[in-house]
Amino acid sequence: MGRDHWSAAGLALLAIGYLLAGRRYPLDTLATPGPGLVPLVAGVALLAVAIWLFITANRAGLADAATTGGLIEPAPRRAAGRPLVLAAALVIYAAVLPALGFVVSSFALVVVASRLIGAAGWWRPALLALGITGVSYLLFARWLGVPLP
Amino acid sequence: MSDLFVALTPANLLACFVGTVLGTIVGVLPGLGPAGAMALVLPLTIKLGPTAGLIMLAGIYYGAMYGGSTTSILVNVPGEAASVVTTIDGYRLARKGRAGAALAVAAIASFVAGTFSVVALQVAAPLVARAALAFGPAEYFALGLLGLVLLANLTGRSRAKSLAMVLLGVMLATIGMDPLGGAVRFTFDLAGAQAGLSFVAVTTGLFGVAEVLASMTEPEAASAVARVKFRELYPSREELRRSVPPMLRGTVLGFLVGLMPGPAATIASFVSYGVEKKVSKHRAELGSGAIEGVAGPEAANNAAAGGGMIPLLSLGLPFTPSTAVLLSGMLLMSVTPGPFLLRDHPRVFWGVIGSFYVGNVMLLLLNLPLVGLFARIATIPPRYLMPAVLVLCAVAAYSDNNNIFDVWVMVAAGIAGWAMRALDFSPAPLVLGLVLGPMLERSLLQALTIARGDIGGLWASWPAAGMLVAAALASVAPAVSALVRRMSRRAV
Repeated sequence: MGRDHWSAAGLALLAIGYLLAGRRYPLDTLATPGPGLVPLVAGVALLAVAIWLFITANRAGLADAATTGGLIEPAPRRAAGRPLVLAAALVIYAAVLPALGFVVSSFALVVVASRLIGAAGWWRPALLALGITGVSYLLFARWLGVPLP
Repeated sequence: MSDLFVALTPANLLACFVGTVLGTIVGVLPGLGPAGAMALVLPLTIKLGPTAGLIMLAGIYYGAMYGGSTTSILVNVPGEAASVVTTIDGYRLARKGRAGAALAVAAIASFVAGTFSVVALQVAAPLVARAALAFGPAEYFALGLLGLVLLANLTGRSRAKSLAMVLLGVMLATIGMDPLGGAVRFTFDLAGAQAGLSFVAVTTGLFGVAEVLASMTEPEAASAVARVKFRELYPSREELRRSVPPMLRGTVLGFLVGLMPGPAATIASFVSYGVEKKVSKHRAELGSGAIEGVAGPEAANNAAAGGGMIPLLSLGLPFTPSTAVLLSGMLLMSVTPGPFLLRDHPRVFWGVIGSFYVGNVMLLLLNLPLVGLFARIATIPPRYLMPAVLVLCAVAAYSDNNNIFDVWVMVAAGIAGWAMRALDFSPAPLVLGLVLGPMLERSLLQALTIARGDIGGLWASWPAAGMLVAAALASVAPAVSALVRRMSRRAV
């Protein structure tokens, strides 16, 4: 199974889950349609599109190879591990934001993110974090009165 | 009409200036596009009030089209998708020592096209709005459906993938209160979910956080930028003469493509390049550094940005992610775009249109002398820039409704958006499905109720029937043309 097959399978599962969760909303009649009608139509349509994607996945892969004819070389990519670490850092950020507040959580996020994206040492990321957090706090919370956690 | 001069008040001029400068910077920076940047500054613009706030958002929208060309020409890195095609001839011109001329022609083409599209917008938007006053729920449903089908046809390489994203967007739009009866759906008792998914949180996630994550696996862009002196910014008389026809062709083409749903500015630039390759007197030089390859596409992408404002302002239907953010901004400022915008908020309507004229002049005056400065912004290393984008995304997402649930939505949308890019799914159709979903649902249910359950009520009027037929044709056309191609290949 190729990448597109897995994507299609994932979309089909999502559509089935959505349809199952949507069963509790009444359809009523066409003259007085209930809140379940559009979720039913959208869920069935996504399921159909997922099946279509699954069937055409092989053909699309072959067509892509034929049109580029190997002329377009994929750009060399860097390791995918670091984005995963940053994604985990973002989840932790959202989790600790209410307890630690905007300034402390954002400071830590910027330090971690700039290190992951390629900043060396600890001083520069710390200074950068101080600058970004400080400026956004002053700009949004103080000057514009935007409420921050 | 006298409300056009609203754009000239000091506060609105300042908003326009800040918007166009921010837009140029966003256009210059690879990664963050206009839609993401507009979502980031939404909390700030709401504080400015509707007219100044929307003028600033619109400034970012069309300023990005100007800025995108700068790095395409100087560094061979397009700042945003609509400037990809400018790299072909623009960068080769720079290598021939004509960078200044290419930049000047790009700025002039953007100015000409931008100004033309505002004139056309000023004439067409009220006419379309007046015609749309006769639209009922059935017509709006047909129009929304047609828009989404065309969008799926024109976005990305796979129609099935784009359609899946549109449907996913419509499904996400069903989270929260249903638009007619008020039933709460798919919230799973999560606090903050009753109001539905925050559009700002989803957009900042998909276009901000996902870009940061994706940029970590992409090779770093070249950081050397050719320095261009102000006195080198004069195109020769020959270059100017050769630029005029592609500029005019690109302007008209771009405006028409801009009316269509999908990544109009990007498509317009490619269509314009394709047309130049067929009709230009100097078509043989295209690809090796011809000024036509800069003038046409740069005019086209700016004209498309103006064209895209017509469905938004006169019908209330955004067909691109950037205009969807503008719509979201308008709704947050209690301004409902659509046929009644001109009647209910004439100062906002004409003020925004007036600011397009002012903004275009500002962009021309800014871009020519400061081109070197803007180009150097592109070389700021991502390790300094991207963390700032993350913090801004969090501020924008939280401040939409002042709740942590929206920050979770932003993080989830960011991670999903990164996975979608890796799997070759475009996030734009999802955003438009999310925005148009409630409108589609409301108009479908209302149309069915009005027709007392008769499904034929959906195509009872001529405009509705015409649009539904067009949507059906657009759905089958690609399959039919593929079949015809296959059969003709077999016949050969």
